Amino acid sequence: MGLDRRTFIKFAAGAGAGVMLTPIPWKLLDDSAIWTQNWPWIPSLEDGENTYVYAFSKSDPSIVPIQVRKVNGRPVRILPVPGHPLGGGVSALSAAEAQMLHSPARLRRPLLRGQDGKLQEISWPQASNVLLDEIRKAGAKTAFISGDENSSVIEVISALAGALGSGDVYLMPSDAQDAAVAASLAGIGARIGYDLESSDHVLALGANILENWGTVMRNRRIFKNARPHSFRKAGEKQGAGAASLFLAYAGPLQTNTAAVADLWLPLYPGTESVLALGIAHLLLAAGKTCAADDFDAFREFVAGFTPEKTAGITGVDAAKLKQEVEKLLAAKSPLVIVGSEFGSGAGAVPVLAGLAVNALLGNVNKPGGLSLLPKSAPAFTEAASREDIHKKSLIRFLAAQEKPALLLIHDANPVYALPDPRKIREAIQAVPFKVAFNSFMDETAALCDLILPADMGLERMDDVETPYGSGKASYCISAPATKAQAGVLNAGNTLLQTARRLDKALGFNTYEDVLKSKAAQYGKVGFDDLAAGVPALSEEKATVSSFSFKADILKQAPAAEAGGGALRLAPYVRMSLGTAVTGIPPYNNKTLRADELDGTLMSVMLNRATAVKHKVAAGDKVVLEAGGKKITAKVRIFEGVMNDTAGVCLGFGHSEFDEFSKNKGHNVMELMSALPEPGTGLDLWCRTGVDIKKA
Amino acid sequence: MAMDNRPFDAALFPEGCERGPLKPFMIWMGAMSVILLIGLYAAFLVLSRGLGMTALDDYFGFGLWITFDLGVIALGAGAFFTGFLRYILNIDPLKNIINLAVIIGFICYTGAMIILVLDIGQPVRAWFGYWHANVHSMLTEVIFCITCYCIVLIIEYIPIILEQKQINKQPLLHALAHNLHVVMPLFAGMGAFLSTFHQGSLGGMYGVLFGRPYAFRDGFFIWPWTFFLFVLSAAASGPMLTVLIASLMEKMTGRKLVSYDVKALMGKIAGTMLLVYLVFKILDTGAWVFSVAPRSGLTFSDFFYGWIYGKWLLFAEIVLCGIIPCFMLLSKSMRANPTLLYAAGLLDCAGITINRYVMTVQTLAMPSLPFDSWATYNPNWVEWAACGLVLAYGAMLLSLSYRYLPIFPQEAQLNGGGPVH
Amino acid sequence: MSAKKEFNVKWGMAIDLDKCTGCGACMVACQAENNLAPQADASNKLRVMNWLVVFELSNNKAFPDHETAYLPRPCQQCAEQPCATVCPVVATERNEEGGIVSQIYPRCIGCRYCMAACPYHARYFNWFDPIWPKGMEKSLTPDVSTRPRGVVEKCSFCHHRFMKAKDKIRAKGGEVYVRGVDNKMHCAVPEDGYVTSCAEACPNGAIVFGDLNNPDHTVSKLVRGNADAFRLLERLGTDTAVYYISKREWVRRLGDNYVPDEETQKPRQILPKKH
Repeated sequence: MGLDRRTFIKFAAGAGAGVMLTPIPWKLLDDSAIWTQNWPWIPSLEDGENTYVYAFSKSDPSIVPIQVRKVNGRPVRILPVPGHPLGGGVSALSAAEAQMLHSPARLRRPLLRGQDGKLQEISWPQASNVLLDEIRKAGAKTAFISGDENSSVIEVISALAGALGSGDVYLMPSDAQDAAVAASLAGIGARIGYDLESSDHVLALGANILENWGTVMRNRRIFKNARPHSFRKAGEKQGAGAASLFLAYAGPLQTNTAAVADLWLPLYPGTESVLALGIAHLLLAAGKTCAADDFDAFREFVAGFTPEKTAGITGVDAAKLKQEVEKLLAAKSPLVIVGSEFGSGAGAVPVLAGLAVNALLGNVNKPGGLSLLPKSAPAFTEAASREDIHKKSLIRFLAAQEKPALLLIHDANPVYALPDPRKIREAIQAVPFKVAFNSFMDETAALCDLILPADMGLERMDDVETPYGSGKASYCISAPATKAQAGVLNAGNTLLQTARRLDKALGFNTYEDVLKSKAAQYGKVGFDDLAAGVPALSEEKATVSSFSFKADILKQAPAAEAGGGALRLAPYVRMSLGTAVTGIPPYNNKTLRADELDGTLMSVMLNRATAVKHKVAAGDKVVLEAGGKKITAKVRIFEGVMNDTAGVCLGFGHSEFDEFSKNKGHNVMELMSALPEPGTGLDLWCRTGVDIKKA
Repeated sequence: MAMDNRPFDAALFPEGCERGPLKPFMIWMGAMSVILLIGLYAAFLVLSRGLGMTALDDYFGFGLWITFDLGVIALGAGAFFTGFLRYILNIDPLKNIINLAVIIGFICYTGAMIILVLDIGQPVRAWFGYWHANVHSMLTEVIFCITCYCIVLIIEYIPIILEQKQINKQPLLHALAHNLHVVMPLFAGMGAFLSTFHQGSLGGMYGVLFGRPYAFRDGFFIWPWTFFLFVLSAAASGPMLTVLIASLMEKMTGRKLVSYDVKALMGKIAGTMLLVYLVFKILDTGAWVFSVAPRSGLTFSDFFYGWIYGKWLLFAEIVLCGIIPCFMLLSKSMRANPTLLYAAGLLDCAGITINRYVMTVQTLAMPSLPFDSWATYNPNWVEWAACGLVLAYGAMLLSLSYRYLPIFPQEAQLNGGGPVH
Repeated sequence: MSAKKEFNVKWGMAIDLDKCTGCGACMVACQAENNLAPQADASNKLRVMNWLVVFELSNNKAFPDHETAYLPRPCQQCAEQPCATVCPVVATERNEEGGIVSQIYPRCIGCRYCMAACPYHARYFNWFDPIWPKGMEKSLTPDVSTRPRGVVEKCSFCHHRFMKAKDKIRAKGGEVYVRGVDNKMHCAVPEDGYVTSCAEACPNGAIVFGDLNNPDHTVSKLVRGNADAFRLLERLGTDTAVYYISKREWVRRLGDNYVPDEETQKPRQILPKKH
């Protein structure tokens, strides 16, 4: 029987109807609902046992005690430790640290620069040998830079340097450095601490205490506890639940701290020390006094800082200043915190001026006042103390004609984080052999001849010792949350091992042994408890035998001119955009607001009056120029900016890391240049004048 | 059978109608195919990579495509409305344009379906609209009615195809075509019912958005006023698109296809509907300005922004492309002038398109949160190309239909000099 | 159009805008908790997937009288949802004790009508497939399924944490819903037994989470009879579960649209209750 058209159609129709009667089409239809959800290229989830480890975020300098949630041993979440004396919540940076472990910018193999100038992967034993050879060659001409001022790695580094006969150990500039130098100048043989917990009136000058100054998580917890939620019955003007803390903030920008402060005193960038002297003037006028070697010289010098003169330099309204000082005088436990506006570059003078104000307020070592905390003993007898390391300026070292033969850079990105990065780049490039010990491929590592991939905070045991801003001396251990990824090693262990191979054993086999030795100083809490997340606290306060205002240094300070340029530059930090060391982590760039970055163009914030004065308007693409260096930006009108001041966000303009950091704006550090701060040995880059014109 | 000077495909031409040579026709079809292929490439990009290929975003979840869909569905309303008048109200002269109206309707609705397949993020799940229907959603009603009406349009289109000279020679197909013609009033009725509801529901989709004061309207029972406005505006513009396309086809082919009195009658019908629509639209605008706005805490000027979403759009929609064409269409003398009739038709269609555009885009552009600002939307080439795909598809289908199907009952007489029915 | 559902338990938030510094910790914690994929270019905010967004508010005064505040915006979990009523496929609904508006990813067809409906912009569309850098999928939590391109998603008040908290009670043989001293049914999950990731992360304690119907919960104490508490676009009648608190009048006024002569929090007219 042939298949004619009619039978074929019948057959096809019958087959079609038959298939519809089977479950096949319906099952397929139903399945489509499932497989449109589960495409193979979309990762599926893996469940498992939940465990928790107490640690610290070592990526976030704002000191965040964390609880790491692990599933089947994989860190998946960073949770807060609310009960921790340094804890509260989590920061935007630490919140994604579990994800940062897998960042595309992560270094996973040692790299060595070959003859052709390109970096090539090598094995760890090869890398160790290269390192050893280079250290042997350089000997005492080996220099070290570290970016971690809170952990004991700096002591290992310092001990190794000592064993090599090198004194060239540097920490990256920070508020802690400024404070350490100020304390030393003032003759205080102690660390400066701030008893925020008990203060009822905090005046922060420059220091963005709720974002990036000091022990931020702790600061914010204290702020939280001191400020009950507003509750107002209908018809009433004033709500119940008065705040037990008055927060005033002085700075050129309405920062995160200013947004929730009771008072914002706008001032010109970098004039905090002058404002502090103006406050000292009013305190002296109110009869305040204190015991100091150079009290009379100080009084004489400060007499010039009338509210009007202060206002002229700082831009702070004289009447508002007087009101604020009256409040300080009326407060039970007032505290004045002076710090840098963007985490570095303010020098020691502002802290020195802050010391003077607090001394006049009579709050030193009083509840809610300035605390003097004992220095801790280093684990290594031959290592320089953290305070001694702080006294040396990295910038001056890099600027010096004479270069070390070998530079080992640990957990730091000076080529990005220091002012005038081009100069820093040239200085580092002039060093014959550079080694980076980093977790991420950053701008500095990219210059180095040998790159050693370091474990991240979550992968190692480390410590946090009395971070700057604390009110009490403390010691905490950060336990490893997960084993280190293949190919990365611990910097502390590697340096200790290197020392042993150089026949200069430092007395400890492992970095963990160093931590145990440190922990022993804080006898009350055992090492196991520390490793389980229990903090060791010391109520001990240091006493001061002598105190000096250092009027001679302060006298040179109030150079308030912006160094040329029509506008004054006010950089600011958003911790959510990471640090120079982390770049912008993958989970963090979403926190950028719509008007902070437009594609690759960053914003410059001006208030309307300033914009009009300088003939630019919202949305204009402009060039900011300082000392021949330029960056482009888009004008954003924001009324929370001081007059004649340009607010710019730090953290953009990375040329290394990954697609989450690259191609976003410019590094504002490019506009800044370091100037020596007279009498302190430090440098300043907090006062930069810029010109603005349409691009 | 073919005469020497007649085109190769002359045997397929409608009875008594001449068509141009094959070559220019193929060139025209080729040109349309290029647009079609560009559109298909855009569609491929969207389906393979995702809707991120468009310029849509989280504020403008709806954009050009939804505007285009609403536009073609409104303008394609000629099919249901003319069918309703022809078959239910028995306005006989409309039989001379009803076939064209049906084909345009078919193109518009299938075109809208093509765009919708691209526009929904999970086209494979499109059938969920039936399976997991939410009876409270206006969109559910739209999904039901549009797909059903699409089937009705297919049924209405089939007899026109079956009447093709060669196909009609098959006795079975001839009988089928005849029988379909007999039951056509039933489908016209169903079409009118379905179409009224989904035109309405499309309007209702916006009117129920109480979080979007630009679109929100009060209403009658469960139907916001936009429900009725969309039905009326579709009826007011659909017939004019049919007239405009008929006239465009006449221009392009150089042949008379529809007698002018039929076009004028369509114009009169559209003008009447436009008048009814405008009365309600103006009342609705008043209620919007004086009730919806203050109840939402807004003033009239809060609804507009700069040039891109300025007040001129409202003026253009209601006055320039509403009241003016309405007056022109209702005036017998102006209607008698072809240029003015077509101009009025263009304005009419433009006005309704502006309405669909602002209801879609301006609704979403306006800040709903007091601390938010206006957003702007500019479609990218992928979105335009997909619309081009539908237009090219429509042009090709219409060209084929014109060349081979007996769409215009009057054509033979109009061009042969015989009496016109 | 559908009748408003009332539940014994109504999870809600009170966000104190006088405490929020806009640091973004909540946003990052939310992304990590709910498995949102990172995006290399996050500068076009209208294409950035963020269940929780911090808006910057301004009192619109010129320097130096300018004030600023930050407003975190999760899904407002409306009792009268503009979104769920319009979804053609019931992919989103508020139909469970607790009053959280669900989002069923395998059901969503991606029509985005809900996004057009939501005045809070709380809904986000997957314009592309989510991509994690190689290896980063190891840091996904097992709690929230990943979503393919073409579907809408939004904040769920970390609903999975609610499920876990209930499971914990059930595992011990307890009842999840118990009668309280006020003779009403309450959830036996303790106040700190279920908090959202954002509330947990916030170092300033700006986000308070709990049962708005439970008089013992802080959140309910904070919002009941507090004239400093307000909700966003209250006059639309969405009846949201997210309250904001500020003693600053200009901040409260930014919570809603007002015609110029209307008093803050006292609109003369509102949209009808029945939607």
